[in-house]
Amino acid sequence: MRTRAAVSAALASAGILIAGWQSGVHVADTGSSAASTAAGTTGTTGSSGATGSSGTSGSSGSGSTGAGSSAAGGTAGASAKAGGTYDGSVVQTRFGSVQVRITVQGGKITDVTALQLTDAERKSVQISNRAAPLLRNEVLQAQSADVQTISGATVTSDAYLSSLQAALDAANL
Amino acid sequence: MNTQLLTTRPEVRRSSRGAANPFRGQHRRRLLRADLLAVLFWASLAGAISLWLADGGAAGFSTPAGSFTALGIVAGLAGMDLVLLMLLLAARIPVIDRTVGHDRALEFHRKLGKPALYLLLAHGVLIAIGYGMAEGLDPVSEGVALWVLVPDMWLAYISMLLFIAVVVTSLVAVRRRFPYEFWYAIHLLTYAAVLTSLPHQFSVGSLFAEGTWQRWYWLALCIATGAALVYYRIAQPLIATFRHQLTVKRVVGVAPGVVSIEMSGLRLDQLTGSGGRFFIWRFLAPGLWWHPHPFSLSAEPVRFDAAGQGTLRITVRNLGRGSARLAALKPGTKVAIEGPYGLFSTAARSRNHVVMVGAGIGITPIRALLESTPFQPGNATVILRGHSESELYLGEEILELCRQRGATLFHLTGPRPAGVRTWLPEHSARAGHRLSSFDPRLAEADVYVCGPGAWARNVLEDARAAGVRDDQLHYERFDW
Repeated sequence: MRTRAAVSAALASAGILIAGWQSGVHVADTGSSAASTAAGTTGTTGSSGATGSSGTSGSSGSGSTGAGSSAAGGTAGASAKAGGTYDGSVVQTRFGSVQVRITVQGGKITDVTALQLTDAERKSVQISNRAAPLLRNEVLQAQSADVQTISGATVTSDAYLSSLQAALDAANL
Repeated sequence: MNTQLLTTRPEVRRSSRGAANPFRGQHRRRLLRADLLAVLFWASLAGAISLWLADGGAAGFSTPAGSFTALGIVAGLAGMDLVLLMLLLAARIPVIDRTVGHDRALEFHRKLGKPALYLLLAHGVLIAIGYGMAEGLDPVSEGVALWVLVPDMWLAYISMLLFIAVVVTSLVAVRRRFPYEFWYAIHLLTYAAVLTSLPHQFSVGSLFAEGTWQRWYWLALCIATGAALVYYRIAQPLIATFRHQLTVKRVVGVAPGVVSIEMSGLRLDQLTGSGGRFFIWRFLAPGLWWHPHPFSLSAEPVRFDAAGQGTLRITVRNLGRGSARLAALKPGTKVAIEGPYGLFSTAARSRNHVVMVGAGIGITPIRALLESTPFQPGNATVILRGHSESELYLGEEILELCRQRGATLFHLTGPRPAGVRTWLPEHSARAGHRLSSFDPRLAEADVYVCGPGAWARNVLEDARAAGVRDDQLHYERFDW
C-alpha cells in the first residue's frame, strides 16, 4: 500500500473508532440508567400487586442470592398455606440473572413478579419485557411452573420457570 | 538468427521529457481511486468495530466472562465485514476493475479468506467461553446449549461448517486435486454460508436489535453487497449477451493447436477500446455452454455499419479439454459473454512511451492492445517471444500493425538457456541482452507483459532492474 493510502486509512480508521468509542461512552451511561429504570418498573409492579412485601425489591439488584433463598425459607416455615410472598432462587444465564417472587393467597398463586430479568444487553431487556407478562399470565392460569417457554425467549423463560419452581417449592405448593 | 529486429526505427522527432503526457491525469486519478479503495477497506473494518463501541460494548470488559464475549462479538463483526468485502471484491464491480484490475482484486479476495475464517472461528469459540463462564458451563456444553436453545443458532453452526468447507477447498494445495468445476460448485456454497449466518446476527446479536441504527447500517451493508453481486454477476452479463447477440462466424486455424474464433454481433462500437481486456465466453452448444472461458480479444471489434454490426475475434490455444473442443465450434453458435474485465488496456497507461512484451498465446492480447492504444510513431516497442517462429502467433498481423503505426518490433525465438532465470532465448541471454537493450527509453515507458507466469515474472524483474516503477508495470494474471 502506498504511503498516502496507509496514512489516510490509519487516520480514517482511528477517527471512526474514536467516534464510536465516544458515542459508546454516552450510550453506556444512558443504557445503564435505562436498565435500572426497567428493573425499577418491574419492582414497582411487584410491590403494588404484592400483599405484605416491603418496598425493597426494586433495589435488590445483585448479591441477593443467599438473602433471597433464606428469606423464602423463613417465610415458608412460618406460613405454609396461609399466604404471603415467596422469592425464587436467582438463576444465572448468559444474558443476566433472573429471579421471580410469587404472591400466594389461600393456596393459590395470585401474582408473579420478576425481581430480576435478563438485562445483559439492550436486546435482552427487549426480550424480557416481551416475555415476562406472557409468562406471568400463563403461570397464573396454570397455577404451576408447567407452562410452555416463550419462543424467542427460551433462555429467559427457562430461568424464569426454574426460579418460579424454587418459589413454589418454598411455598409448599 | 533468433533475435530479429523487424522494422526500422521510424525517424520521428523525439518529444522531450517535459512534453505533454495525455495519460498523466488518468494515471493520477487511478492512483487516487486505488488509495480511496484502500481507505474504504480499512474504514469499513473500523466501522464494524465502531458499531460495537458505539453500543457501549467496551463496558463488557469489566468482567472476565464479559471480556470473552466482547472479544467474540468483535471477532464476529470483523469476520463478517471481511466476508462482505470478499464478496464485493469478487462481484466484478467496474470501479474496482478499472482501478486495480480483476486479477489483483481476486488476489486480495483470496488473501482475505483465511483471516476471515479465523475471525469467524474465534467468534464462535470466544462467545461459547464467555457465555459459558457467565452461566457456569464449560464451552462445549454451552455450545450445545446454544445450538439447542437459541433460535437461529443452528443455522449459524451450519454457516460455520460451510465457511470452513469453502476456505479449505480454496487452499491452493487442495484446489489442484480437483477439477475447476468442483471448486466452483463448492465456492457457490459461500452464498449459502453468508445467508445462513445472517439470521442469528439480527435475532441473537443484541447489537442489531430492532430499533437500533446499527441494525440499519448492517442491513444496508448486506443488501448493498447482495445487490452488487446480483447486478454485476448476473444481470449485467445477461444484458451484455442480449445487447451484443454474438454468434460464431468462423473458426480459423492459426497454428497447430491454435485457432482464431471470429464472432459477429450488434452494437460492437460499445466494446471498442477493450483491446487487451478479457471477456468470459460461454459457447452455447451442447456440452459446452456451462464451460466459462476467460479469453482476451485478439483484435479490436470492427464495425461494419452505423448500427454497430461487426465482428470481433479471440485466439485460443487448446490447453484443456474445454478449449480443445472450441476448434470444432460450428458457425452460428450463440455466445454468451461477461465483461470486458481487466486492466490490461489503455486504461492503465501512465506514460507516452509504451513497451509490450508477449510470449506464446500471451501474444494475442498484445496484438489487440497494439491495435487500439494511442501512441505517436516511434513511441512503442513490441517484443514477441516464442519457442519457434511458428509460435509467434499472429506475427504477420502484428508486423503489419507495427508498420502502420510506427512501432518497433522484435522477434525473440529459441529455447531458454538451461539453469538460468531469464525470459530471453539462449542466444540473446548469452549476448548479455536485457529488456533495456530493446528499448533505450524503457525506464520512462509503460511496460505491458503477457505470457506464462514464471516467464512473465522474469520480464518484470528485468524491467524493475532497469528502473521501471511498479505503477508502470502492467501484467495480467490469467491463471485464476
